[in-house]
Amino acid sequence: MSSNMRRDFASRDELIDYLRREFPQAAARSGEVSATRGGRREAEARLQRIDPQRYAATRNYLDGAVTHLSPYIRHGVLSLAEVRDAALSRVRRPADAAKLVSELGWRDYWQRLYERLGDEIWRDQEPYKTGYRASDYASELPDDIIEGRTGLACIDAFSRDLRATGYLHNHARMWLAAYVVHWRRVAWQAGARWFLEHLLDGDPASNNLSWQWVASTFSHKPYIFNRENLERFTNGIYCRTCPLYGRCDFEGTYEELHRRLFPNATGNAG
Amino acid sequence: MTPNQFTRPIVWIHGDCLNPYGPALQAYPGAPAIWVWDDALLEEWRISLKRIVFMYECLLELPVVIRRGDVATEVLAFAREHAADGIATASSPSPRFRAICDRLRNELPVAVLPVEPFLAYTGRLDLRRFSRYWATAEKYAFGQKPLFDDQ
Ligand SMILES: Cc1cc2nc3c(=O)[nH]c(=O)nc-3n(C[C@H](O)[C@H](O)[C@H](O)COP(=O)(O)OP(=O)(O)OC[C@H]3O[C@@H](n4cnc5c(N)ncnc54)[C@H](O)[C@@H]3O)c2cc1C
Repeated sequence: MSSNMRRDFASRDELIDYLRREFPQAAARSGEVSATRGGRREAEARLQRIDPQRYAATRNYLDGAVTHLSPYIRHGVLSLAEVRDAALSRVRRPADAAKLVSELGWRDYWQRLYERLGDEIWRDQEPYKTGYRASDYASELPDDIIEGRTGLACIDAFSRDLRATGYLHNHARMWLAAYVVHWRRVAWQAGARWFLEHLLDGDPASNNLSWQWVASTFSHKPYIFNRENLERFTNGIYCRTCPLYGRCDFEGTYEELHRRLFPNATGNAG
Repeated sequence: MTPNQFTRPIVWIHGDCLNPYGPALQAYPGAPAIWVWDDALLEEWRISLKRIVFMYECLLELPVVIRRGDVATEVLAFAREHAADGIATASSPSPRFRAICDRLRNELPVAVLPVEPFLAYTGRLDLRRFSRYWATAEKYAFGQKPLFDDQ
């Protein structure tokens, strides 16, 4: 039998010092601590602030009115039903909360698949639709991505944010995942392991199946983006300072990028 | 599983339900409750310090004893300390959760209590793609107030 771990701390700093000593291997891997606090009290405070109508209009923008509830939902601090009920209580017509409720539905969907698939969620659910075989993808994530020094201002910022905060906006997750799998031809599993290490909401079902959706091993086509799309939904904050602006890897139309990235794929960019 | 089937249960709290209103704590208020840091899992998944801090803060708001080691071994030891006649916990889709429950059941009955469902629906759902799932699920996803009344 092991002894009880401590429950009494005078401050957050004291708790963090204690955990650094108790979990030295985790602290050595990445010693950052997120500003996001755990606990039901904080979760309820955030739940008070959700705005389902603004969410529907702005959720794709990096500075949009997304809820930041994912770490609490992931660990069951809040149930999906509680979040749904709070969203409905905040609007006049249920339809005004429909977008947020359908995003909650994505989590419910992935959890149901996890129940069915178990550890199979680590395996490709279908072949890649990229013209490449699974064996064409590298099994390890390159250091320049992990360390945030690819030279691409957006990608490097996402990598640093992931490590520092344990959170990324959904769109940033999609762009970063697409960059890893399609621009660098790294197996989605390597990216998924990296995300699970850092995300406060790291969840084998939502994470792995979203990576598979980007990779095209659980969707009809690979997810890609171009500079224009990223610039628009980030309000240009990365592109403005990027030394590669106008000649980065993401320049071009979707058709051009599709041809460049997947020269052997059958079908079109569609 | 019928709740309140035990007279001296312990509650096992795990990482998919750090909720003071979770089903096990609700069914057995005041029962001794335990959390165990799964040392093997932390290494296998290379879990970073910031996740540990976040989860620890969640635990500090729950009435639980916090330990670490091999989860099933520690939960059973805790059950013996309290001369428990059963273990109550919240459901989870994780295969590791299922494996731990199987080991617990070698010694004591385990009640896996469902978390409040998102969908007011228990029928068949097509999970091949989200769009197929949502075509049915949407009608049941709005709780007591249906979004689309039958016209
Ligand atoms: C590559 C990749 C990896 C991801 N990994 C995870 C993960 O490990 N854990 C995780 O919870 N989500 C994951 N997501 C889904 C989504 O990005 C996050 O849930 C969301 O960005 C969390 O921020 P939020 O709480 O502000 O979301 P909001 O937009 O405010 O949504 C509210 C809640 O709905 C749920 N939700 C919203 N979108 C999704 C989605 N697409 N899939 C599943 N649930 C969703 C979440 O619980 C979220 O907290 C991943 C997405 C991608 C593309």
